[in-house]
Amino acid sequence: MKHVTAGQRRHVALHLALVAFTLLAIYPILWVFTLAFSGGQSLVVVDLPSEPGFVDRLRSVLPWPKTVSLKNFADVLIDEPFGRWLLNSAIVAGATTVLGVFLACTAAYAFSRFRFPGRRTGMMMFLVSQMFPGTLMMVPLFIIIVKWLHLGNTYAGLVIVYAVTAIPFCVWMLKGYFDTIPIEIEESAIMDGATPAMIFFRIILPLAKPAVAVTALFSFMTGWNEFILASIFMEEEVSYTAPVGLRFFVGGFSSQWGYFAAGSIIVSLPVVALFYYLQKYLIAGLTAGGVKG
Amino acid sequence: MKLRALLTQPATLGLLLAVASGVLLSEWFFAQAQDELLAERQERAVVMQAMALADQVAAVEAAAPDSSAPRLAALSRAWSARFSDIVAIRVVRSADAQFLASTDPRDVAPLPRQLAREEKPLYDLGQELRANVETNAAEGVFRKKQIDVARLDRTRLRVAVPYAVGGQVLGFVQVEQRVAAPALPPATGRVAVAIAAPIALFLLAAAAAWRRGRTAPPGRPWAQFGVALLLLGAALYGEARDGLAELGARHERFAVELAQQYTAAKREFESATQALAVKAVTDNRWDVDDYQRPRAIIGADGSVDRIALADELGARATRVTRGLWGNAALSVLVLGFVAFGYARRLRLTLVEHKIAYRYVAPAILGMLVLVFFPFIYGVTLSFTDTTLFNENLPLRELWVGLKNYIVILGDFQVIRGTEGGWVVNYQNFYWTLFITIAWTVCNVTIGVSLGLLLALALNTKGLRFTNVYRVLLILPWAIPNYITALTWRGMFHKQYGVINQVIQMFGGEPVSWFDGVFTSFLTGIATNGWLSFPFMMVITLGGLQSIPQDAYEAARVEGASRWQQFRHITLPYLRPTLIPAIIISVVWTFNMFNIIYLVSGGEPAGSNEILITQAYKIAFEKYQYGYAAAYSVVIFMILLVYGVFQNRVTRATEAIA
Repeated sequence: MKHVTAGQRRHVALHLALVAFTLLAIYPILWVFTLAFSGGQSLVVVDLPSEPGFVDRLRSVLPWPKTVSLKNFADVLIDEPFGRWLLNSAIVAGATTVLGVFLACTAAYAFSRFRFPGRRTGMMMFLVSQMFPGTLMMVPLFIIIVKWLHLGNTYAGLVIVYAVTAIPFCVWMLKGYFDTIPIEIEESAIMDGATPAMIFFRIILPLAKPAVAVTALFSFMTGWNEFILASIFMEEEVSYTAPVGLRFFVGGFSSQWGYFAAGSIIVSLPVVALFYYLQKYLIAGLTAGGVKG
Repeated sequence: MKLRALLTQPATLGLLLAVASGVLLSEWFFAQAQDELLAERQERAVVMQAMALADQVAAVEAAAPDSSAPRLAALSRAWSARFSDIVAIRVVRSADAQFLASTDPRDVAPLPRQLAREEKPLYDLGQELRANVETNAAEGVFRKKQIDVARLDRTRLRVAVPYAVGGQVLGFVQVEQRVAAPALPPATGRVAVAIAAPIALFLLAAAAAWRRGRTAPPGRPWAQFGVALLLLGAALYGEARDGLAELGARHERFAVELAQQYTAAKREFESATQALAVKAVTDNRWDVDDYQRPRAIIGADGSVDRIALADELGARATRVTRGLWGNAALSVLVLGFVAFGYARRLRLTLVEHKIAYRYVAPAILGMLVLVFFPFIYGVTLSFTDTTLFNENLPLRELWVGLKNYIVILGDFQVIRGTEGGWVVNYQNFYWTLFITIAWTVCNVTIGVSLGLLLALALNTKGLRFTNVYRVLLILPWAIPNYITALTWRGMFHKQYGVINQVIQMFGGEPVSWFDGVFTSFLTGIATNGWLSFPFMMVITLGGLQSIPQDAYEAARVEGASRWQQFRHITLPYLRPTLIPAIIISVVWTFNMFNIIYLVSGGEPAGSNEILITQAYKIAFEKYQYGYAAAYSVVIFMILLVYGVFQNRVTRATEAIA
């Protein structure tokens, strides 16, 4: 028999509490899975009898569907326009990531490595811009993007807005990281005859990979999760993004909870995977950026 | 050598740029004004024709409503034969969808007949004009256009005016007419002289000063600036005078031409309507604006009212002059900027830090266009009463100054007593502010305490499976928060929601969560608490791991209790990690739009809105853009004050750590 110490025995109570809390915490997620695999659109997984007793009620809150079916997933991807919305979101978020990383890396590099007039002002302006309330910007952005540039219902309109709004956070975080890369590396590269562009692309970017990854994640999440501007800019149903579409399932007077649950799982999977993969950098970045913010 | 020195001095360059930009912009302003004038004159001519025709059509229709078509056809033919610029005339009685007459060969004969399916635009046009006339009459204001003017291309105008019999709009007359394309002679010679003359004079003056041994280039900047300013002023004044004179002359010529056209139309009208009992034309009611209000410039006898004409010209000139003043101010700025060497210094700085600026340029450009410009535009909107219905008007006309702010901040009537007891005005700013603060404080407290508790539990020495707990407990943070919000909305559903099922399981009554102020507030707190504790937990775990273990050992040796250890070792060590995390989560929660908007939607009756969702609703559900902008500016101010305060706190904690 394994030797059980007094300390470990004391942990039993702690384990019980933790398990209880964890179950409570992931209950909504289990519930979403239940709805998704139930094959129906209703919020309840089992039909209650007219005079439900304790056991019936208990069965109805247990996160397990009456029948397991993949119908909701199939419907959402094939019959509903959700597949199209997912594609829209993927294109928008992908392009946002590329553009956002490019804009943030170049600017952060200059802010970190060069001393030039306007540097401090620029950094301060980026910080202050983080406090601009979104509601103040929506109407002007609508006028600029849709009325002046005629980019309503296009990917380009959303992509440039998302990429630019992600800039301040990404620049602050990347600059913090670039600052930790010793300048001697660049100096010796210059001695070897490297041009500034070569230093940036061949030396700095590879060294700053973790920070660039977080920038990419942040830009991606901006494009993947935003739904207010998307619903303002994209008026046609074919150009909805996935978040707008998910709201379409359960917002207003429609309640297609099965589609919503299945769609949510599909939408969340990539973000959750990326999140776990990059979480330690994300936390470092948040606190670093946050302290100075 | 000498010439080169003169030419390259900053003042010469500045004058060149200022004069060139000033003169070219003035030319552009005048070209616009001339185009506008010509377009207006052409429209007026066609409207006059159409109005005269509409009067005849009305007379014919009034005389014989059932057999009017042949006479209308003859009338249209005669009219378009008389005025050779007319391409086509159509008469449509939209009241019963009858196509009465047309001189356009493309319209399928025989007429009259019912409007065909593909002619629906004609029917719609008639209905719209009728509705507009009736709206204006009913409201007693001129809000909707009563004349439809379409420019088909550069040389074709089409105008539709309604005709009425017995006060009822029955249909409309549409006249399509050829007009001259706007062609202004390019004033290259004049522009070249206006630009070259001041430069030449300036160089001469500078050369003279140099020769008399006073100053060599680059010379005394103030004196040079003064001379350059004089020359610039003279050049711009000359431009403005010439341009305005030309505009005035054209304006007058057009009025005379229109008067001639009016007389011709009147003569034709009188000869055509001799047979009908039409009262003689005693006033000019054909030369009208888009709302069919007479312009009162050309009299019934074809004479031009000089005073009214001068007034009209004056209004136009004022508009142009305002643009010209702005233009002049811009030119003076350019001159000063270049002449005093700022431009040179700017250029040198840009060249010196070329690489750095090249790197920041894309991001800065993007931020300027899509963040700072919208911000400034939004702040400008906040001083207007722009709504969805007047957003096409220029902001100058909607300016209300600080009114929006006074309405938002000056209304302290949060609670008022009525016969039925106290009633809270949920739309009041201070109520929403109170809810926002309560919301923020509750959420941050819950997030921090749950996070701290879990982190302490997971940090227990020798505890197994901590990684499993950690991974599972982070999940709420990883899931996109709008999905979380919608899910919880489902869980709080009154009839089918899981939470009410659990309550009923233990014999309770189902709660309609979103109908009570407090229960609705709870739904938001529960949802946000659920998704915000993992962040605090992770941050605290990081902080706990950096506490040196010997501190605890020393405390234990001294006989400190667990609470004392927590109070005097753990908490002080956690301070530098926790305070920034709390500061940032306060801002996040304060602006947490998704949860409120998607879970409770501010129900009931907007009592649970926080500031940011309230601003959104004002903008996109009430469409009061100006008011919403002011609301948002107030939010920004609150955040700014908080930011300054937070900066102080952060510095203080850094000093302690």
